[in-house]
Amino acid sequence: MSREQYQVPTGSPTADGGSFKVAPRDYVSGSSDNTMHYLCGDCAARVPLDKGAPIRCQRCGGRVLYKERTKRMVQFEAR
Amino acid sequence: MPHKPPTQEELERRKIVGIHEETITDVSSSDYPWTYPGEDHSWDIEAFKRNFRIEFHQNDPFEASFSLIGCDASIANAFRRIMIADIPTLAIETVFINNNTSVIQDEVLAHRLGLIPFKGGKEGLHKFLKWWRRPEDESQINNSYYDFNTVSLRLEVKCEHNEKAAPGETDPTKLYKHAHVYARDIEFCPVGRQEKYFSGENAIAPVNPDILIAKLRPGQEISLSMHMHKGVGSDHAKFSPVATASYRLMPVIKIERPILGKDAEKFAKCFPKGVIGLEKVTKQEAAQKGSGYEGHEGEVKAVVVDPMRDTVSRECLRHPEFKDKVKLGRRRDHFIFLVESTGQWESDAIFLEAVAHLKKKAQDLEKQVINMVR
Ligand SMILES: [Zn+2]
Repeated sequence: MSREQYQVPTGSPTADGGSFKVAPRDYVSGSSDNTMHYLCGDCAARVPLDKGAPIRCQRCGGRVLYKERTKRMVQFEAR
Repeated sequence: MPHKPPTQEELERRKIVGIHEETITDVSSSDYPWTYPGEDHSWDIEAFKRNFRIEFHQNDPFEASFSLIGCDASIANAFRRIMIADIPTLAIETVFINNNTSVIQDEVLAHRLGLIPFKGGKEGLHKFLKWWRRPEDESQINNSYYDFNTVSLRLEVKCEHNEKAAPGETDPTKLYKHAHVYARDIEFCPVGRQEKYFSGENAIAPVNPDILIAKLRPGQEISLSMHMHKGVGSDHAKFSPVATASYRLMPVIKIERPILGKDAEKFAKCFPKGVIGLEKVTKQEAAQKGSGYEGHEGEVKAVVVDPMRDTVSRECLRHPEFKDKVKLGRRRDHFIFLVESTGQWESDAIFLEAVAHLKKKAQDLEKQVINMVR
């Protein structure tokens, strides 16, 4: 893979399953382009966070936020 | 001195592997020329046909037991190895994970999926489906999947709270929806001609629908698709059509001198159930001089009923009262096979396929040898 500039994932995987390609799932619908979502470490809520916003869960006030799993398809050999 | 042809007793003795208290004797095969000077032991198809026999003991879809009698260990072992490593089956080979928030890692999940045995229409599996080969040009990989070499599967499970659960419920399977992901949750997605070969009864599905793949908790999700390809056991064990394919030699138990009364009962207990039986000494036997039965009419004696069930534990050799009364051994040319199918093939069909496979290998070798000599 060439060194390209990082792009915010759009939901369509680059590597795919060929002719059996699974329809890309839109995991990030309902969010504007620069709003990232995190997962609260205390209550597991999905927390939208804008640039510069305090790192805090809006539901429980927890300060530990985890990054979400990649929206890209990941390919593995079953062995 | 002219060579004397071997007696029947001698021929029988040559077939036995001796099993003694501490040692095992006569282990080498003697099925080749010059083993016995003056006798012709060259390979002869007619002689082989006369002596060779196959007996089936059990023939179920998932388990078959049969004996090959009158062949060399090299042949029996070739069949065993072909059954394990050379008979092709269909298994999950690639996993495309869209989302997996369960506690089980992607790599481990993919590995677990690969090991699940699948079944499907026999004609489609064995005739219609062909090999998939990775294209030399890696960029062409997406044009290498066709309906005759790839089977597509999906697994989409999401765990949620179950509102209908009784208050105070502690069982996760009742408290949550889809707390357990089973092999039956895998969905077959037929493409092209696969509709024709794998529909209804013949659909591609796990042999054992209750295999637990992963456990989930509310909010966790597994979403993935999979490609299955044909492969052989020599490449990866998941492609092996058998759970076990093994053989053992037929046990031989020879009672040389009578074992009577309490000793006979003790002797029977040295073996698994059904191997040794107890019979009454008859009038004729008691009347026979030098038989060891004189004056024992009506007493019980030990007789060999079913040596095949013996595990050859040698327990009887540990007791001084049976000293020199019993000889243990195994028949060098009697192979008791046990073939356990994983479900894609009928267990007896695996053996038949192994025979066809060995024949094909021999024909290929013949061609090579002819080319070499030319
Ligand atoms: Zn929270």
